[in-house]
Amino acid sequence: MLPCSWGLWRSAIHTLKTFRASPSARGLCIPTRAVCDAETIFALSSGHGRCGVAVVRVSGPASSMVLRNMAGLTQALPPPRTALLRRITDPQSKELLDRGLVLWFKGPHSFTGEDSAEFHIHGGPAVITAVLQALGSLEGVRPAEAGEFTRRAFHAGKLGLTEVEGLGDLIHAETEAQRRQALRQMDGELGRLYQDWSYRLKRCLAHVEAFIDFSEDELIEDGVLNQVDSSVRQLETEIERHLKDERRGERLRTGVQVVIAGATNAGKSSLLNTLCQRPAAIVSPIAGTTRDIVETSLDIGGFPVLLSDTAGLRDSSDSVEREGVRRARQRVEQADLTLVVVDSTQLPPDPQLVAAFLQEHLSTVLPSPEAGMTAASDRVLLVLNKSDLVPEEQRERTEGELRERPGLPPACFLSCSTSTGLEDFLTVLQSRVKTLCGDPLSGAPSLTQARHRAHLQQSVQALNQYHQYRDQDLALAAEGVRLALTHLGRITGRVGAEEILDIIFRDFCIGK
Amino acid sequence: MLAQKLHLLRHNVLSFVSSRTGSDLTRRQYDVIVVGGGHAGTEAAAAAARLGAETLLITQKIMTIGALSCNPSLGGVGKGQLVREVDALDGLCGRAGDSAGVHFSILNRSKGPAVWGPRAQLDRERYRQFIQSELLSTPRLTVLEGSVDELLVSQPNPEEPGHHRVTGIRLVDGSHPILSSSVVLTTGTFLSGSLFMGQTTSPGGRMGDAQSCAGLSYTLKETLGLRVGRLRTGTPPRIVKESVDLSLAQLQAPDKQPTPFSFLNTHTRCKPEEQLPCYLTHTTPGVERVVRESVHLNCHIQQDAKGPRYCPSIESRVLRFPGRRHQVWLEPEGLTSDLLYPQGLSMTMPPELQLRLLREIPALHRAEIRTPGYGVQYDFVCPTQLTPSLQVKSTQGLFLAGQINGTTGYEEAAAQGLWAGVNAGRTALSLPPMALSRTQSYIGVLIDDLVGRGVTEPYRMFTSRAEFRTYLRPDNADLRLTPRGFEEVGCVTLRRYKKAVSVRDGLQEALMALQSVALSSTRWREKLGNISLSENKSTTLNGLDLLQYKDVSFEMLASAFPECLSQYFEYSQRLKIEAVYRPHCEKQSREMERIRSEESLSLPSDMDYLSLPVSLSQEVREILDRVRPNTLGAATRLPGMTPAGIIHLLNYVLRTGQRNRHTEHRNRSSQKEGEKGQLCASNIPISQ
Repeated sequence: MLPCSWGLWRSAIHTLKTFRASPSARGLCIPTRAVCDAETIFALSSGHGRCGVAVVRVSGPASSMVLRNMAGLTQALPPPRTALLRRITDPQSKELLDRGLVLWFKGPHSFTGEDSAEFHIHGGPAVITAVLQALGSLEGVRPAEAGEFTRRAFHAGKLGLTEVEGLGDLIHAETEAQRRQALRQMDGELGRLYQDWSYRLKRCLAHVEAFIDFSEDELIEDGVLNQVDSSVRQLETEIERHLKDERRGERLRTGVQVVIAGATNAGKSSLLNTLCQRPAAIVSPIAGTTRDIVETSLDIGGFPVLLSDTAGLRDSSDSVEREGVRRARQRVEQADLTLVVVDSTQLPPDPQLVAAFLQEHLSTVLPSPEAGMTAASDRVLLVLNKSDLVPEEQRERTEGELRERPGLPPACFLSCSTSTGLEDFLTVLQSRVKTLCGDPLSGAPSLTQARHRAHLQQSVQALNQYHQYRDQDLALAAEGVRLALTHLGRITGRVGAEEILDIIFRDFCIGK
Repeated sequence: MLAQKLHLLRHNVLSFVSSRTGSDLTRRQYDVIVVGGGHAGTEAAAAAARLGAETLLITQKIMTIGALSCNPSLGGVGKGQLVREVDALDGLCGRAGDSAGVHFSILNRSKGPAVWGPRAQLDRERYRQFIQSELLSTPRLTVLEGSVDELLVSQPNPEEPGHHRVTGIRLVDGSHPILSSSVVLTTGTFLSGSLFMGQTTSPGGRMGDAQSCAGLSYTLKETLGLRVGRLRTGTPPRIVKESVDLSLAQLQAPDKQPTPFSFLNTHTRCKPEEQLPCYLTHTTPGVERVVRESVHLNCHIQQDAKGPRYCPSIESRVLRFPGRRHQVWLEPEGLTSDLLYPQGLSMTMPPELQLRLLREIPALHRAEIRTPGYGVQYDFVCPTQLTPSLQVKSTQGLFLAGQINGTTGYEEAAAQGLWAGVNAGRTALSLPPMALSRTQSYIGVLIDDLVGRGVTEPYRMFTSRAEFRTYLRPDNADLRLTPRGFEEVGCVTLRRYKKAVSVRDGLQEALMALQSVALSSTRWREKLGNISLSENKSTTLNGLDLLQYKDVSFEMLASAFPECLSQYFEYSQRLKIEAVYRPHCEKQSREMERIRSEESLSLPSDMDYLSLPVSLSQEVREILDRVRPNTLGAATRLPGMTPAGIIHLLNYVLRTGQRNRHTEHRNRSSQKEGEKGQLCASNIPISQ
């Protein structure tokens, strides 16, 4: 369903196989032969938020071409590993994007072992987006998949033994971050648009495939291909218009996505109001007051945060509230950081039982047991609200008990009504947000957007092939539609042969 | 007269191996035993024998070896590709089709050579004769008439519970066991088969044949603990030709010049002018009425066993897509047969209603039925329990092929039969098993789909199942498979190999010659007359570039450069096809390489996924434990598998492989299966 980077580890397999075949390779060897990837990739490799400088990395054979085109280096390339202050321009429009430092790394003396380049540009989102889009417009250059730089470094033998061991975890972390990012991007209008294109393209392919596999024996209406012709043309027009129309791009939801979740009446909306120091959300003692997502932008310790309050999680017969709960769960899945709010007065009075109680509670709030304790514990904070209503002695003993439980996410006692414990909580929250901002992938929607653009462009190119071969060779024309769907599938999810056959059998009576 | 003579001849030749007349001639020990004489069984037996294994084919009735039990046709879109590939590996069905065909046509002629579908209507008698005489003249192959009662397997090794080894079979007549290193089961619809017609149900796998395989079913399910599922299929009534008013149907002529299936044949046995036509007609509202009125008398369609979506009975077509006209093809059954086969009218209602239904169709208003249609429900073994060599994972030496694996169709059966026969032979000869890559053949796609994903309905080949359709073409099956079939697999005879190699070399020379003639597009226009070239005037194009253009034929180029091209006239069609597809195949070569490298990494079959000390989620562990993918490639295609999970798995397998010598050895031999499963690039001069 999600655009994971399958290509990534596949090449890793290729490499591992290579050194297995070599008799000299004993133990877990690092391959020395660099595998040359034909494609050049780029990615934002610095964090965001309060950073003055952003670093964009480029790796692959076209790196020198990229430098020449974007840094106006028509003559010789700069000496390797030497910073040079240049005007960075759009290769097509020649428009000035920024002034910044460029560096050139001649392979194999680079992080990935390939020819590489770095752009150190100003950290504003507009500049970053412009540079990433300019890179994506160059022939043979595309946004990197999750973990791709590391993978190439691995190929080139640039990673140490422990780094190779950690490759799986790294890829997990990066694909997870990309997955969350993609989910956010796909939420809403844009997602519906892409899904609609994908659905229509699947039908086009199914109808072409039906015409190829069955029209000789079956009553496949003659008009089927004509319909496909016009559908494909319509799709091309729509995608092209979308690519050209900058204004219609959705506002990017930048910042660390922090979501407040928990049972009804735990005080989630109070926490939101406390954090943004204004009554942004309605609070009342009535369970189920908040029914939709309440979103607000905050600055926490200088880092941009998008804070969302969600409906209390409970089974409800009210259809509006049920929808609110569904949205709440969806939002939790997309979150970089989830604040799970618990009503302290509901905690077991015996402090020894609290840890187990909280474990159990978390499993009902967080999406899947897999994302529960271990993987997600750095993405979860427990807020034990209404601490003013708990006897101080019980609170202290509970705090002591929880401190010795490394399996649980950090827990903070807090009272939204008296603000007791707020400072401690803010310290913990701020350090989490800071860590998250250092991760180049979380909260860099411009990168996801650049990936989407690249795949949409390739999709349109592939559809051209359909028209080109439509009357000459239907197998090659179909190949164009298949390729377009593969690229679109990188955004909306992979489409297998079985799914196409399902559409064929649904739409046609295949009888022979 | 002629038919009678052949019949006598066949009878004489066959009788000497029949168990009834000469059981003392049969040995008690073979390398390979093949059970079943259908499309899968005959290919399996012939392949094992070609490989050099002493092979025994056991069938219920020698006379029905090579019988076409359902439709009298071979090939089609996707299926034709399979026939060409079986032929490229020196199988029987392509040559049998050339011998028995009475109506040849290339389907999809207007849609591009990659999806052309070679197809033929067959003469049932000629097909059977060809297969039977072919088997009887195959060295090292013995045919025995009998029913298998029991599959003999060794007791499982206490250290490896559930792991058996096949030791042979025992016949129903209770005689001594016949021993072998490998057994190929191709029992078709006979595994717990039941026949349906109207409200009556009887045990059996085919009308007119003995029910059987009860003992086999028991061994497979109870002793070996294999999971089985249930599927259904059916066949139409056969109609007396004389009773049909063909003037009310539309005549469908064959191709004027028949194209042989086999790479060895330049022409078919049937002369162009001797070919028979087919006829097309349609269902009427009256047909729908009869179906609706008879539903309550029709057990088969009320059952819940899974039937195919693409070859449904007329009952399910009408019920699923009401109010439509459905096509009915009236196909000849042979040169001398007095019957017609109504393709598209498979039905299971009571015979008197079948007659009523037929007569609702104008051309069939006076039709007489020779044998009524009926339905079959049967068990199949869930094919995810097999390795890519078609061997049962838990039972060394036991191979399954054909409908027993949940497929439908002669071609699908033949393809599996051949590959199971190859591996049964290799196992018996102590050679490592082999797999075919899905990047290299439809047979590879078929087997990979079966063992990797399993089936939920009878599996049939479509070209849309192949990712690399523009490379897996009917025209180049010989280049894709024959050299390796000889050099590595051992199932191809020297004669065929030599022919394929000479074609390969000839094509390569011709391609080089084409590339050597280069002119500017202006000069090309001058030479070839009015052709539309999109390139700039100054661009230099070589002959191969030019051949990609729609309006340019090899003949045109050869007449422009007779001195260097005219000697390659025999390849003109293949060169044109190659020129058009080559750039696309090159674009896909990276993707092909990737899939092949995944396929080549085997996962040990005894891996304990549930306790593997790597970071895998419980869900992923359970999926892996249930499906037990054969290769890393198969693991990636499992729903729910994550990229990180694959990396962890890969690291683990490689690490343990290097630490543990015993494991290393096993890994290597199983890896070999995967590695051998690819053609190396040097074997593919074209398209790579």
